[in-house]
Amino acid sequence: MPHDDLRSFLTTLDKEGQLLRVTEQVSPEPDLAAAANAAPKLGDAAPALYFDNLEGFTDARVALNVHGSWANHALALGLPAGTGVKDQVAEFIRRWETFPVPVERREDPPWADNVLEGEAVDLFSVLPLFRLNDGDGGFYLDKAAVVSRDPEDPGNDGKQNVGIYRLQVKGRAELGIQPVPMHDIALQLAKAERAGEDLPVAIALGNDPVIPIVAATPLAYDQNEYELAGALRGAPAPVTAAPLTGLDVPWGAEVVLEGVIVGRRRELEGPFGEFTGHYSGGRSMPVIRIDRISHRTHPVFESLYLGMPWTEIDFLMAANTCVPIHQQLTAEFPEVRAVNAMYTHGLLAVISTKSRYGGFAKAVGMRAMTTPHGLGYLKTVIVVDEDVDPFDLPRVMWAVSTKVNPAGDVMVLPNLPVVALDPAADPAGITHKMIIDATTPVAPDERGHFSQPVKDLPETAAWVDKLRRLAAR
Amino acid sequence: MTAPEGAPPVTCPRCDHPDVAKLADSPVAGVWTVHQCARCRYTWRSTEPARRTRRAHYPEAFRLTAQDIASATDVPTVPPLLIRPKVGRPPRGT
Repeated sequence: MPHDDLRSFLTTLDKEGQLLRVTEQVSPEPDLAAAANAAPKLGDAAPALYFDNLEGFTDARVALNVHGSWANHALALGLPAGTGVKDQVAEFIRRWETFPVPVERREDPPWADNVLEGEAVDLFSVLPLFRLNDGDGGFYLDKAAVVSRDPEDPGNDGKQNVGIYRLQVKGRAELGIQPVPMHDIALQLAKAERAGEDLPVAIALGNDPVIPIVAATPLAYDQNEYELAGALRGAPAPVTAAPLTGLDVPWGAEVVLEGVIVGRRRELEGPFGEFTGHYSGGRSMPVIRIDRISHRTHPVFESLYLGMPWTEIDFLMAANTCVPIHQQLTAEFPEVRAVNAMYTHGLLAVISTKSRYGGFAKAVGMRAMTTPHGLGYLKTVIVVDEDVDPFDLPRVMWAVSTKVNPAGDVMVLPNLPVVALDPAADPAGITHKMIIDATTPVAPDERGHFSQPVKDLPETAAWVDKLRRLAAR
Repeated sequence: MTAPEGAPPVTCPRCDHPDVAKLADSPVAGVWTVHQCARCRYTWRSTEPARRTRRAHYPEAFRLTAQDIASATDVPTVPPLLIRPKVGRPPRGT
């Protein structure tokens, strides 16, 4: 059975030995962030962390690193904890084939039990807020599902957007938000602001484990994240219309905030230690006014540490970055075998493809850069032959080291768009991009001397089995 | 003058602005308070390390000046207001 909320997933993690409960009293800073910074360093089976004894708090519950290992990511998808990375991506692709799965509208959400409105709205009274990194401008909500609609087409469910955006706590009822221009909510905000209007938003915190995965998936503008959640869960995603805005929010959320992005207002935001392993900030960004808070009794505050990769966010946007690019590429180029865009949300990607004819691999690289996600990421694309597994980095490095002649295999494309958070961009939002064609040239591209590759001996596979048996004795 | 540990801060650790307000008190009385700078919106808890709470210890790399704040670029930029014609046909090419 899929998980309908965070709590049931925490129970699963506990049963699987993947939830570490820290019962001693810790300080909100720097302990919570330091512990979550440390957790992924424990390896591919690093646990989630749960704290309920925080200095100065009487009723705080904090869950961290919930998706912060391949084991937890597998469990989030309902797979055995030991499922390998490549197999998780393959299963993600298989389930994508059932997308879209219509949502299930469900009544009586548990988050409706407690409501704060008007003067009573106070984020500090509901959430045990805390700082992550030294240079952060304040306390952040960085794992919440932010829901909004297209103001010019509000009835279009496909254009309803669910995304994770960094949210700086600016006051008891005020948040800063970073709508990167490449992201869907920025398109919606621009439409509202052109009309001189605010953009209504609902923000769901503490969700079932598939919601953060789909919210961090770079879907097309008119594709509904909840309908992808249904495909990944193998059952419709339960949603409920939020009472103030009517926006669809996860039925199982711990806390739901509702309000508006205030149109045409900008205010200093950040800095914030980002997924790039660098701080970004010192820019003026929009502000959200919170008008209503709904929450479960004794809510669990789920947050995410991010910093020098790999941290939880790298696991949370690994498979889900690979798959849409894979699907968009194979729709036009069925020769594409696999996509590994796990590095820094796809600022670098490795793609394996069979070459239809000379120059084909470079065209695949360019197409990858013009997918919706590629426009703002995919700064470096390495293309390898179809028999090179892009998830096997030693093989990828073999291909780069032997197949590439920079004279004809490295393309530098000037002044293309990139997410402004890329620290190498100059100016912010603009970068050259690079394709490294590490495939074997095929006719009529006759460069190099690749006609005599050394192949594994025909008997080697049998010997692998034999040696394994001998070694196991 | 250095404020004693736990006392309200004199200025913002990040931009040195004197207008600092209290945002929250600890649910257990007297353990900590959360403060915010009215100018740069820097927010901190009184029990955080000195490198985050004391101007004298705040890292140079993260300090802000009035000029930094005033010159911050808009992300995303605010688009021009759409002027809709009150009567007649919409403008061509839209």
